[in-house]
Amino acid sequence: MKPIFFASLLAVPLLLAGLTGCAAVQNLRGEAALETPPTWQFHSIVDVEFVMDHTGMPMPENVMLIDARPYKPKYVNGHIPGAVTIPHSQFDKHVDLLPTDKETLLIYYCGGPTCKLSHKSAKKAEKLGYTNVRVFTGGFPGWKQVPGNYVSVSVDHVARALEKNDTVIVDARPKKTKFDKGHIPSAQSIPFTYFKAFSGKLPRDLDTPLIFYCGGLTCKLSHKSAKAAIAMGYTHVKVFSKGYPEWKKIHGASPVVAMKAGEMEGSMDIELFKETLAQRPESILVVDVRDKDEFDMGSFRNSVHISVEELEEKIKDLPQEKPVVFVCSTGARSGEAYYMVQDLRPSLKNIYYLEAACTFKKDGSFEIKKTEG
Amino acid sequence: MNKKMIVSLLALMFLLVSTALCFAEGPNGNKRKGKYTYRKVYKACAARGEVDSKKPHISPSDKTMAQWERIFDTRDFSEFKCGQEWGALTDEETQDIYAYLYGYAADSPSPATCK
Repeated sequence: MKPIFFASLLAVPLLLAGLTGCAAVQNLRGEAALETPPTWQFHSIVDVEFVMDHTGMPMPENVMLIDARPYKPKYVNGHIPGAVTIPHSQFDKHVDLLPTDKETLLIYYCGGPTCKLSHKSAKKAEKLGYTNVRVFTGGFPGWKQVPGNYVSVSVDHVARALEKNDTVIVDARPKKTKFDKGHIPSAQSIPFTYFKAFSGKLPRDLDTPLIFYCGGLTCKLSHKSAKAAIAMGYTHVKVFSKGYPEWKKIHGASPVVAMKAGEMEGSMDIELFKETLAQRPESILVVDVRDKDEFDMGSFRNSVHISVEELEEKIKDLPQEKPVVFVCSTGARSGEAYYMVQDLRPSLKNIYYLEAACTFKKDGSFEIKKTEG
Repeated sequence: MNKKMIVSLLALMFLLVSTALCFAEGPNGNKRKGKYTYRKVYKACAARGEVDSKKPHISPSDKTMAQWERIFDTRDFSEFKCGQEWGALTDEETQDIYAYLYGYAADSPSPATCK
């Protein structure tokens, strides 16, 4: 009697659970269930058209577009242009980044329809008193799907692209007044005003990644250039929206020198070298690759000594933030040093050597003469 | 008559100077790149164990320009040893090395020192 009683007791909940499960499956398959928004979803949802209509570069004053995904690796490597980063996990820490005007339109997004981060952040923002909060559920994937849309990247992404040497960086600012006074190393100058005329400087392979930048969040030139590049058929176009001001803040104001090549491949123009030494010696790193005893007899002020024999070991220590110029007494060893870097660390773009005969005197003076042949 | 003679003399001088310049031109490679490539050959060869030192055993100033010209004309690189590394060089790299060796030959305007 007892075993039958216990078995019946066990069977009832099992049967109920089974029936509930079947009903749940039916509900999930039914259209009514699909239309019911999940409980975690925020009440005000917008689509990509809404985002495109209400945002832009520069971002309108009464709008804030917020990326709720983690800063690394998500936001750094791609976000909707103009979006600020407030990862949901950091919401409470960064409340101060939200606008003081509680009527500002806040649009949150994250990694697409199944991502909850933007919804959670939106709910928190509403609790803080913001009255105009929306969630773009399509998120970053939804933004990218729209033909003609491009993404923005952060300074870390640009630095990594430089290191990997797989991306063409394009400075969209005017050349003489901006680019020549300082730019991201290895960047090409294609001012937007002359985009059509200079577009031949862009790579032939339309799949080559391109990153455009200009003078920061209020500058439109890089965005206009990006759109023009997409219209030409380039498939991997990005914009570094914070541009040169951000680069300068993180990596220093370099290179201040607009490098001018000399006659030989990789050589620096001698007159520019002299002028730089006299006026802005801190803007380049002069590496004397002669032997130590020669260096001790005299060299350029502020130069560092790495003999060409030691260079291979120390090549990893060469900075990428400012131009490096190798010097010696004839151009032979400095030229060798230049080609060593080309061979062993090709990602280092700002490398030059002095194709000249240099003589140094004990009083610190020097003479630079063009070498023959 | 005098005018004709002057013109002819000038033309002859121009011909002589241009011919001399053509012959004095030397190899077309990049001597700076050549120096690096030449040293790289011996570094790899020493690492493989065929030679004891990673420093090349033949210096540019060990031969005259004419001797370097003969070696590279005949492409007889046997005395350089390290055949494996020499065989792997492209024509451009070989020309660069030639430009380096020729440019610092014993009778060149700037013979190589030990540097």
